[in-house]
Amino acid sequence: MNRLQRKGISQYRRIARLNESALELEKAMHRAGVTPEDKEKFLDWAVSSMWSSYKEERMNRRIIIENEIRQLGLRFPNGTVKKDYNFTFRLPSDRISDVELLGAGEMGLTLNAGDQGEYILTGRPVSIGDYTLTLRYRTVEGEPASELNIPIAFNPNPRDLWKNIATDPRIPYYKPDRETAYLMVEEGGDGSARKDMVAASQRGRSHAQEGKARDDHFALYHCDDSDWYILAVADGAGSAKYSRKGSEIACATVIEHCKQRLLDNPGFERAIHEYEADREDNDKRTDVTRHVIDIIYNGAMKAHEAVKRTAEAHEGAKVKDYATTLMFAICKRYDFGWFIASFWVGDGAMCLFDEKNRTAKLLGQPDEGEFSGQTRFLTMPEIFRDPEVVKKRLRMTIVPDFTALFLMSDGVSDPMFETDRNLSDYDKWEEFYRKLKEGFPEDEIGGVDLSDDNPEAQYQLLRWLDFWSPGNHDDRTIAILY
Amino acid sequence: MRRLPVYLLLDCSGSMFGEPIEAVKNGVQVLVSTLRQDPYALETAYLSIITFDSKAQQVVPLTELSAFQQPNIQASGTTALGEALALLTKQAEKEVTKTTHEKKGDWKPLVFIMTDGEPTDDFNKGLAEFKKGKWGMVVACAAGAGANTDILKKITECVVSLDTADSATIKAFFKWVSASVSSGSMKVEETGAEATTLSELPPPPPEVNIVL
Repeated sequence: MNRLQRKGISQYRRIARLNESALELEKAMHRAGVTPEDKEKFLDWAVSSMWSSYKEERMNRRIIIENEIRQLGLRFPNGTVKKDYNFTFRLPSDRISDVELLGAGEMGLTLNAGDQGEYILTGRPVSIGDYTLTLRYRTVEGEPASELNIPIAFNPNPRDLWKNIATDPRIPYYKPDRETAYLMVEEGGDGSARKDMVAASQRGRSHAQEGKARDDHFALYHCDDSDWYILAVADGAGSAKYSRKGSEIACATVIEHCKQRLLDNPGFERAIHEYEADREDNDKRTDVTRHVIDIIYNGAMKAHEAVKRTAEAHEGAKVKDYATTLMFAICKRYDFGWFIASFWVGDGAMCLFDEKNRTAKLLGQPDEGEFSGQTRFLTMPEIFRDPEVVKKRLRMTIVPDFTALFLMSDGVSDPMFETDRNLSDYDKWEEFYRKLKEGFPEDEIGGVDLSDDNPEAQYQLLRWLDFWSPGNHDDRTIAILY
Repeated sequence: MRRLPVYLLLDCSGSMFGEPIEAVKNGVQVLVSTLRQDPYALETAYLSIITFDSKAQQVVPLTELSAFQQPNIQASGTTALGEALALLTKQAEKEVTKTTHEKKGDWKPLVFIMTDGEPTDDFNKGLAEFKKGKWGMVVACAAGAGANTDILKKITECVVSLDTADSATIKAFFKWVSASVSSGSMKVEETGAEATTLSELPPPPPEVNIVL
């Protein structure tokens, strides 16, 4: 048999089978009593009604699956604009196919299918707002594709929301929004390295947001003749309208006063030497304290009075409009080590940090009220009426050496230390010092190179002050002797 | 980080069915999307929603604003305001971080209560629980004529009322809530203290009346 003959036979058999089926159908209709003239209509009716119920069942299957998918309660977590979005979810792969996510592309997202019904939505959202994505999928063959709307929201990056509005230079007591200083002290006659001073002050984001002025201030001074170092940091109260001037006057006044008192003061120098020689001797301690009071306490007092005078000269202004905190220190190196005396009123932190001996000595106590934000100010007359003022606010110390003396406003100390307790914890200071040197790589904020004779340190410090800490956007000022 | 917790207590009883509940849902949406544009709020505000009908339920636990998702809210049943106050106190106790020597805790929570009726449960029991909690600003809003402002006055000094519970009025209320949260999150940042009286909040819009 050739191929053609074989094909003929198989065709014949098929026709024979069809004839057989048609005959059986004829018989069945006859048995059921379908008359020959009704036959065609009956067949049409039978096929179309079965087709309908077939379709209905198919649709029901689709609706059941759609309900199942809805019951999954699929929700997309919110994303952040321009930040990686990554969300994995599962869909029953035995029930649905051809899954697409309409609208994802325009938002910068892509949906990829993994194994066993796993789907991964990734990308970087393009724009902020509330959107709807449509999940489209197929359930039963022949049925239209099913759709499910799922909301998705993209947040702005909070860091992009901060505005930086320059302060209007025409306001009274204008001061620049940022300031830095570096005071390089040349090496001594013996060629030994000598400590330098660096400081930076940056307006807080909360002020920048509204174009308000920086209220913090600092001042540095080194007397080449007497070799005294003087550092001052003041934080003008946020609620006081001229506090930016208050902080400035406070710093300038104490620097000027100390400078004059320290320039040629053999009595003080002798008292320090005698006290150092016999620290148990009460008379010698009293003698040096008397000098310290004249320099430090009177300096603070003068600053208080200077602010008061300025307020009185300004029509319609009150002293409390100039409210400011103040911390300052005078430091000098002797052959026996460093003599340091200081005064501190208000919050922030002033600390003598010694990495070698693992000590962090707080030069006073931050004034924190029962509630945070309720601090004490230099401008409050009761500060100087307090009989304990010297004991509370003045400090005098002699140390062989130290790593750094830090003076900082609470804009720095609050985010870095959070509580007063942590300010007395050496480990926290060590961590702070590490952050200062290393910066915040994750936020692309570099560290400060605190090596000897590096004037760049002031700009590094200013940039470092831009560190990110949610909810902490106060002015930030720090002065370092190192 | 010190968070500013914000609790919304929303009446979802049967009388809120229809336009009012839709307006409330819309209001929550407006609140969240407005606050997301504010850097202070986006960083510090955390939001929770407690609904009450025949019983109280925390439908959204205290959640950072950026992760907040609109809950499914429906109106039915009675007004278990007492239970809602007790639940609020219990959840805030759990969710709000307390200050320790090593860590500064959260700010005191802002609470906004909105109801269109009178409590149908043991209100005084819930009120007693509530009084044990530590709260910042608590604002109670009587939405429409059916709300009992005398009852709300027992919860807080700060009671406001809406003449009608239609969508425009409810929307105005939520806008004011969002402005209040904004200014609250800015205030804690600037002055380190929470607002406690109505005068420290932004002035309410004409639709929102202060009940004296």
